[in-house]
Amino acid sequence: MNSLVLQGVTKSFGKVTAAQDISFTANSGRILGLLGPNGAGKTTTIRMIANILTPDNGTVTFCGREVGPWSREEMGYLPEERGLYKKLKVNDQLRYLAALKGVKSQDSASKIEYWLDRLGLTEWGTRKAQDLSKGMQQKIQFIATVLADPQLIILDEPFSGLDPVNSELLREIIAEMKQQGRIILFASHRMEQVEQLCDDICLIANGRLVLSGGLRQIKKSFKRDKLVMEYEGEVPFLDTMQKSGEIQILELRDDGCVLRISEDCNPRALLDRVLSVPDLVLYRFELLQPSLNEIFIQTVGGQR
Amino acid sequence: MSHKTLVVTQSEFMRRVTSKTFILTTLLGPVLFIGFIVAMVMISVSTIEDTFDEQFSTEPLRIGIVDETGVLGTRIVDQGAGEHVIVLVASGSLDDAMINGEIDAYVHIPPEIITTNVQPVLHSRGGSRYGIRLALSETIERSLKDYLLAQNNVAPDVRAILDRYVQVESLAYNEAYNAERQVSEETRSDDGHLILGGILGMLMYIGILIYGTLILHGAMEERTTRVVEVIVSSVRPFDLLMGKVLGIGLVGFAQMATWALMLVGATILAAPLVELFIDPAAYDLPANASTQEVMAAADIPLPSISPAILIWFLLYFVGGYLLYGGLFAAVGTMVDSPQESQTLLLPVMMPIIISIMFMGTVIGDPHSQLSVGLSLFPLTSSVPMIVRIAIGGVPFWQILLSYGLLLGSFLTSIWVSARIYRASLLMYGKKPSLKTVIGYLRTG
Repeated sequence: MNSLVLQGVTKSFGKVTAAQDISFTANSGRILGLLGPNGAGKTTTIRMIANILTPDNGTVTFCGREVGPWSREEMGYLPEERGLYKKLKVNDQLRYLAALKGVKSQDSASKIEYWLDRLGLTEWGTRKAQDLSKGMQQKIQFIATVLADPQLIILDEPFSGLDPVNSELLREIIAEMKQQGRIILFASHRMEQVEQLCDDICLIANGRLVLSGGLRQIKKSFKRDKLVMEYEGEVPFLDTMQKSGEIQILELRDDGCVLRISEDCNPRALLDRVLSVPDLVLYRFELLQPSLNEIFIQTVGGQR
Repeated sequence: MSHKTLVVTQSEFMRRVTSKTFILTTLLGPVLFIGFIVAMVMISVSTIEDTFDEQFSTEPLRIGIVDETGVLGTRIVDQGAGEHVIVLVASGSLDDAMINGEIDAYVHIPPEIITTNVQPVLHSRGGSRYGIRLALSETIERSLKDYLLAQNNVAPDVRAILDRYVQVESLAYNEAYNAERQVSEETRSDDGHLILGGILGMLMYIGILIYGTLILHGAMEERTTRVVEVIVSSVRPFDLLMGKVLGIGLVGFAQMATWALMLVGATILAAPLVELFIDPAAYDLPANASTQEVMAAADIPLPSISPAILIWFLLYFVGGYLLYGGLFAAVGTMVDSPQESQTLLLPVMMPIIISIMFMGTVIGDPHSQLSVGLSLFPLTSSVPMIVRIAIGGVPFWQILLSYGLLLGSFLTSIWVSARIYRASLLMYGKKPSLKTVIGYLRTG
């Protein structure tokens, strides 16, 4: 099984430490989400994985070997800052980018044909990149990333600029590549996308790794402290409970409420109390898992 | 050379050679070139016929002469003043005639001119006229000398002696002569080779400028299109920049090879053109004389370019191009637009401008310390060295040393560019100062 291992990776630029002691492992057949606020050190970390930068300290190993010029041909990298040669025809462009990844020209033609067809761009092969819409250019950039059948695929905000239909198409392809046993790194700010796609996550803030592991385990490790209730009638004691500090009312509607419950509040006892309110019909009483977004804000907020 | 360099070279070459701009400039270039040749031929022919000024004033001017000597006037009229017409000779002022428009200009010859070096003065309307002054100076000088010689009863054979002239010709020996006491054909040096050296030097300068600019834009391309990060995740900046410089160099080579072929055609056209302007009879040649005989008789130097000179020219052209290509690439990697590159280009261009400025000095004394120094220093060596090689007599070790330095500097320039390239990735849209550039070199 292939894996990408970062061990104690550190990189500084002058006095600024962009990445400090970052360690994680990405395994084949899994998607690893790389999260972090702007300027957290995501791009620096990715660049060290892609062998654009070399770490000051620590190692990046891929398939058991330290990354270097050799590993470039095994990786596909879709950076956040991306573009195409404007005046170059799509076919020529893809052939060139594939050749730089070591794909022989006789092999690249059929691959280009396959991918253009897959993404519905067959007629655009002979057009210049500047004639394409932004969304189409995004898709061409994605093709360039996967054209050489890389074992490691790094996607930095791959969905930005894509409409829902194309986003769905891309998600399908990414899932397919995961099935094929490739390692996929997915960097994004969009938490719902990360939640949907990723098996593992790494949260980076201020150049440090603050949270990493399987998405489910991480979510489990955070307390279910958000309570959603739906009912008909009225719960008379909510205000008193808030005053005593047992709960915090996040939202109050005609047909229910959203609360944050504190350590002092026993959910079981609360449920009993609610059920004992006369004339109240309870439809829903659910303790929610925190969303990734909440975990993100909570963790990064704690860092600051 | 790495495989990826080849991939980049091929791509850079193909995408340029197949572009409309390339095809257009390649085809239109010779049209301009032929025009240039025709103009040069016309100018050189008219120089030979001593009617240089006729190129600049289409109408012959009417000239008056105020002759206070009383003896030179008729002689001057006999001699004529080129294609200008002498319409009036008077002993008093001709201001009125000029104001009336009867004449365009008049020359005042003071009586003292017979005995002292007092000079005649040309009075003209509408600014000074270099062509007439040139023609009149010559005419008046000859008339004055004729008059003075006649006054002193100088015999015709003495006059013939005075008309004799000497022009030292040159025969330069190379080191081989010391050993073998034989002058080989290549060591002969003549004015033709001086001109050849100058032309080759200028060609090189222009070539480096044109294709260097292409490289500058080429090196900027990845950054301006933001494709740079994908590219550097596939290929080392050194290989990328090397591929670009080589690829664009090949474009230049292809273009010039095409032009060379067309030039052959152009010279076949240009030679009979020259014959239209030169009458073989004027040089005591039979009417069916060959073009080369006519050109030789008319003193138009046609040096035979020896293969050695041609090969060194190509090598130095390539070497100089590569080095400056590397430097232009370095500038291109630091900026996001051509406008930003201006201030950085000046110091890069300075050495080659200096080498062009000193071309005259090098031609004047190709073996002086300055000439040798300029032709060894890699940033200036290409132009002075090819001039010196064309003139002849350059020790072989100097050529080897100079070329070795040139190639070494080329590799260094690409290496430096690559470091800047990698480091400048981190600073999108920031204008580089000298300090950051040095920083790039250290941290890259």
